[in-house]
This record gives sequence, C-alpha cells and structure tokens, in this order.
Amino acid sequence: MVSLEEGVEKLKSYLGAGNILDVKFQPPRNCFILIRADKLRDAISYMVNELDCKHLITISGVDLIKDNQFELIYHLNDGTNTFSLRTRIPRDNPKMVSIVDIVPGAVFYEREVYELFGITFEGNPRKENFILSDGWPADVFPLRKDWTIERIRERLEEERRRGVKGI
Amino acid sequence: MSEKEVGTAFEVPIGPQHPALKEPILLLFKVDGDIVVDVWPRIHTHRGIEKATESRNYIQNIYLCERVCGICSFIHTLVYTQGVEKLLDIEAPPRAQYIRVIVSELERIHSHTLWLGVAAHELGFDTLFYYVWRDREVVMDLLELISGNRVNYAISTIGGVRRDISPEVADKIRKGLDILEKRMDVYKGVVEKEPTLRERVVGVGKLSPQDAIALCAVGPTLRMTGVKRDVRADDPYQAYDEIPFNVITYPTGDVLSQIIVRVGEVYESINIIRYALDHMPSGPIKVKVPWYIPPNEVISRGEAPRGELFYYLKSNGTEKPERVKIRTPTLANIPSVCKMLIGCHVADIPIIFAGIDPCLSCTGRFAFIDEKKNKSWIWNNEELKRYSLKWYGKA
Repeated sequence: MVSLEEGVEKLKSYLGAGNILDVKFQPPRNCFILIRADKLRDAISYMVNELDCKHLITISGVDLIKDNQFELIYHLNDGTNTFSLRTRIPRDNPKMVSIVDIVPGAVFYEREVYELFGITFEGNPRKENFILSDGWPADVFPLRKDWTIERIRERLEEERRRGVKGI
Repeated sequence: MSEKEVGTAFEVPIGPQHPALKEPILLLFKVDGDIVVDVWPRIHTHRGIEKATESRNYIQNIYLCERVCGICSFIHTLVYTQGVEKLLDIEAPPRAQYIRVIVSELERIHSHTLWLGVAAHELGFDTLFYYVWRDREVVMDLLELISGNRVNYAISTIGGVRRDISPEVADKIRKGLDILEKRMDVYKGVVEKEPTLRERVVGVGKLSPQDAIALCAVGPTLRMTGVKRDVRADDPYQAYDEIPFNVITYPTGDVLSQIIVRVGEVYESINIIRYALDHMPSGPIKVKVPWYIPPNEVISRGEAPRGELFYYLKSNGTEKPERVKIRTPTLANIPSVCKMLIGCHVADIPIIFAGIDPCLSCTGRFAFIDEKKNKSWIWNNEELKRYSLKWYGKA
C-alpha cells in the first residue's frame, strides 16, 4: 500500500509526466488525477496490477457541457486511499475503451454510464438495457445537461402517444 | 406459472417485483435441470434521483437522498451531508459526529436483524423470523426515541445533527442494548447449533476471496470471504477513528458465513454505541453553513449496513449541486451474487440472493430456462419459495 503522493509519483514515472494533466489532492485519503484519454487504460491497468488498487468503487460520468466534453472518473481504491483517475472525451464523439478485462466488476458501471450519458465502452459485453426501461428511446440520455427534466418528460409523452410500450 | 419456448435453453426469469425488497430487479436464469448455469441480471425502474438532485438545493437534497433507501436511510444522509461539508471544507462538531455514529450503528443493528429475519423466512424457518423481528422493535423504538421517526430519521443535516441525545435518552439506549445483546446470544446459538438451519446454509452460494475482490464486492459480502475491509476502519469518517471496534470476517464464503458476519457485526455495533455514549464530548451539535456552495468536488464514503456507500459531489457556486453521483452497495454486489448463483440448485436461489441483503425490490417473478428440455417458465416469489421448501422436504 502506497501513500497518495507516492502513488501519484509512481504513476507519473510510469506514464510520463506529459500524460498527467492535473493532480488535485483531497486530504486525507483521496486525490483526483487528470489523465489523457488514450493513456487512461494503461494507467488503470498499472494502478490495479502494480499498486494493488483492485477495488473499483464506481465510474462517475460528468457532463461538462460548457467545454463540450464529458468527464469520466474511475474511483480506484487500495483499501485505504482512493485514486480518482479521470479523463475528458469530446462530447460529439463519446467513446472509451472498456476495462472489463482488467476489472471484471466494471461491467455494470460502464453500462450505467452508457445508458445515462451515451458514452460507448468498446469491449463491454453488456448490450441490453440494465437500468432504464425496455421502451426507453435510444437517443435520450437522461443525465446529459441538455436533456432537461421537462424535455425528457415531453419526449416520453410523445413516445407514449405513438404507442410505444414499456417506458 | 407461465412457460415459453426460448431457443434451445430453459429460461427462468426472477423479478422484477418482490415484496420483501425495495427496488425491482429481474434475474434471468439459464438452468440445466435443477442446476443454474448462467444468470443475467436486469435492474428495472431507474428512479432518476441523480437527475432530480440537480434541480433541488442542498437542503432539499438531504431529504431526497434519505429516500434512496428505506432501510439504510440514515447512512445516505450521513454520506451526503459529510460530502457537502467537505465541499465547504468544514467539519461537524465532535458531539454531532458521535451522535451520527450512534444513529448509524443503531441503523446497522436494525438492518442486520431485519436481514436475519428475512433470511430465516426464506429458509422456511418462520419461528426465528418472528422472534428476530419482535426483538428488532427494541432498536426501532430507540431510533424513534432519538429522532422522532421510525424509518426516515431526518437527523443528520449539513453542519451537524438536528437533535441532541439527552442523558435520559442515553440511559434508555443502554437498557435497550442490554436486552438486544441477550437476545442476540440466543440467535447466535441458533445459528451455531440448529441443524435445520445449518443444513440449508453450509456450503451454499460459495464465493472465493479472489472473485470477491475482482468483482469489487463490498461490505458483509466481501467480509464473509475472509477479506478484512471496512470503510469505518480503513478510511475512518466521523468519530470512527476514536472508537475501538473489530472488523468481523469469516473465511468460508457461503451463506452461513454471511449470517455469522452479520450477527458478529451486531455485537460490534452494540459495543460501539456503548463506547460512544460513554465518551460523547459536550458542545454544540450544529454549525451554521452558507446557502451557496463554492465550486469544488469531493468524494464521500461510508459503511452502510450492506457495504460501502459512495457519493461523488460537484458544486458550481450556486445553491444547487452540479452533479451528485450515488453508488449504492447492492449495485456493487450484483456481479458477486451472480457468481454465487452459478452452479447452485434452483431451490437455493432465494437464500443466496437474499444473502447479499439486496436492496432491490423484486417481487418475484423468476424466469427459468432449461438448456436441455427446451422450455421456459416464470414463477413468482411465492411459487419459487414453495418449490424450494418442497425440495428440502419441508412443505
């Protein structure tokens, strides 16, 4: 088990300092590390296998609509410290590589982020809806900021009028 | 009972409604004769609470978060208010932290005894169920005495707690704990010695520690495989770093292990509450907090009765949060329970699924697929339980 600072230093020397864009410590036992999107999978595999952060708490999605980006935060825990690895991906092409082969427990967290934000995880085995209803319109991603509650409500109303069942 | 042909397999859907639990889930089982070969989980009815938090202010969200769960409601307000305090970079006064610990441990006792009753009921051991739930009333009364409410206590708020614990109330809590401890001795004896119960739970629903870690299991579901991990000890919050207690583990990783871990945790909770009552500092129970929260982001964790509860909070300078992400322990345990169910008998499904103490409502319509006989059918929870008891020769 390493301290927060040690963990960040080790990750920096493994990935190269240029791939870590920002580090923010949240004492006593958490830090947020911003990583370039193409290096994120590498970083997670290093944290899980070398630094023993085997417990993925969850994956949080955040809609940064002003920057036209989505943020994904992978909260990895080694028992004591939590390393929140995050990355930003373009909002008009939201894609990420799945980490299910590294952390098998990630399967439903990725699927949840897909259903609520529309971020696709390439390699995730789950193809059917996990939390949203069966008749939910495929282009409505409820936690995106541009889908306000009123807009979602109107859209579902419209779908119901068209006779779609199971919303 | 309804049946349908599904390809070459026999499909058994369980869910999405279940009277004993809160949120709906569908478990689709592929069975080969009587043995489960695959499980496909599907959660129904996303309630949109995360979205709803974005259009409410921080105070309103305390009450919304409390309603995420009907059993472990206090831990949700605790972790949420603790997160908002972290956003503001303040801490609740020491006395408030002790009161939060006391209420969250009372809640753990009530949740674990509730679970013990449900588990006994799933096994057809209704005598134990009635006795455990009778004694659970003691802790429910204590919670009502402290907060005024039996279920949603509304006691934790941003900056502290809303009610103090007076010396008279503390005495009543101590007396209640003595009764509970005596009764728990009886149930511990039943779990350790009663052959009709042990026959149903020893070696059923096995999970290895390697699988539990790889599948990111939390709480008693992780500790029952022998892995010593508990947020209260590993990442202490509130007053937990000042209170001595043991993290209960048991190595066998079956349903028996789940029962032993939870019964052991009730004893630990009783001792934590006694210690907290004896060492409670004096002083204020609440600090004043601003209405607008400056831009910041934090994570907040706590050990709910079912395992680690996680909140990610992001503020944007207004009175409403930018993003509230909630990860409840049951979601973390679903991959593990699917693993536990593979290879089990259909008759063991109720107790294995109840074993993780799922906080999901799934009146049970359980769908089954038989791979060889090429047919499928749907049972509700009652029908499955009847089958289960008959299979074990008890009906």
